Amino acid sequence: MTGDVGKAQEAFRSTVREAARRAADGEPPPDRLWFFREARWRCLAVCDEGIQAEHIEMGEEELSADAADQLARLDAEQLAIWIAGAPEPQRTALALFYLDEFDHHELLSLLEIKVTELSALLAKARRQFQAWLDAVVQIEAQ
Amino acid sequence: MNLTLVSRRQRALPYCAPFSETRVTDRAMRIAVHRARKGKATMESFSWQQNFDRTVAGLVRAIPIPQEISEWFANEKLLTATAKHSWRKAVRNPVTIAIALALLVIAGVFAIKLREKMQDFPGSATARKLLTVASSTRSIILDPVKTDAGALGDLFFMKHRLEHYDVPAEFADFHAIGCRVFDDDEAHRVAQIWVVERRMQLFLFPAEKQKDGREADWKGWRYVEQEGWAGVVQQRNGVYFMAALRGKKKDLAPYLPKSQD
Repeated sequence: MTGDVGKAQEAFRSTVREAARRAADGEPPPDRLWFFREARWRCLAVCDEGIQAEHIEMGEEELSADAADQLARLDAEQLAIWIAGAPEPQRTALALFYLDEFDHHELLSLLEIKVTELSALLAKARRQFQAWLDAVVQIEAQ
Repeated sequence: MNLTLVSRRQRALPYCAPFSETRVTDRAMRIAVHRARKGKATMESFSWQQNFDRTVAGLVRAIPIPQEISEWFANEKLLTATAKHSWRKAVRNPVTIAIALALLVIAGVFAIKLREKMQDFPGSATARKLLTVASSTRSIILDPVKTDAGALGDLFFMKHRLEHYDVPAEFADFHAIGCRVFDDDEAHRVAQIWVVERRMQLFLFPAEKQKDGREADWKGWRYVEQEGWAGVVQQRNGVYFMAALRGKKKDLAPYLPKSQD
């Protein structure tokens, strides 16, 4: 979400502190979704501080048959940076979708969007990622 | 929701389809995934999408997580609210309410049946059947008469050879406007009288024999009720007399002697 371990830890700690404060007040978080919802907004707040990345319109390509093979050549951290660079709410949609922790109803609840919007965000991200993959994997191959 | 929206939603679902089977918990999603897998136009691209998503998820799992965070997630349940099983919650549970209502209905039906059983007497079943006859009878199907109900006992004896078909003194003075004698499977020969008083109907029918072959032997007046009609029955000389009207027991009570009420 943040593309920075320090920022992520700051968002995480403040979320846990808020949960502990609520628990102490006798109103503990109602469910696990509360943590992800709270952490999301705290991550966004942390990311809004400091230097902002310039928005670049990315190219799009339809998913290819060898996309999975291309992905296998990537580092996990490259993927994390790519997701962290996506605009909101696409960034949260990708982060939560690929965590593989939620069904689509929970995703819609967390993101506060409609199913058509979620689908559009994910489909666009796949196409953009394919275009990026095509470029990056070619360069690495050279 | 109109058809266009349904179709848009159906088309959108495969793009956010979970790549793990365990996350496909929703029926609409299951259908969308099934269609995407089996559709000629979508089969290939959906398969690529699922492979792509699985590989990305594999990479996501490989992203290093700080030890502090991974340790905390092991204890996540410590901070979330645990469901309290209180009596109040259990009582408000729709399942509990449904069971309680069902038990109440069963208890109610049982109580009504028990009450009916306790109030039963020899001839009560026939009396109830005749109350149904009373509710469906129109005065025009009876032979017109202009006399007191008490005087019709002689007519029943002379014309139909019905012995002891006498109207008790309590109802004998009521003015009758019609009467008839008919055969009934259970009550056999039944005499029916229509009186002006509260559009009351009087019935005379033979007393049932008991299991040992003796005549029914009980004294006084007994009440029966059936579908908004009430009747009061007396047995004398092997013949039952019943006065019936639309209403409740309390509507008949004023016609009976106080000691017998």
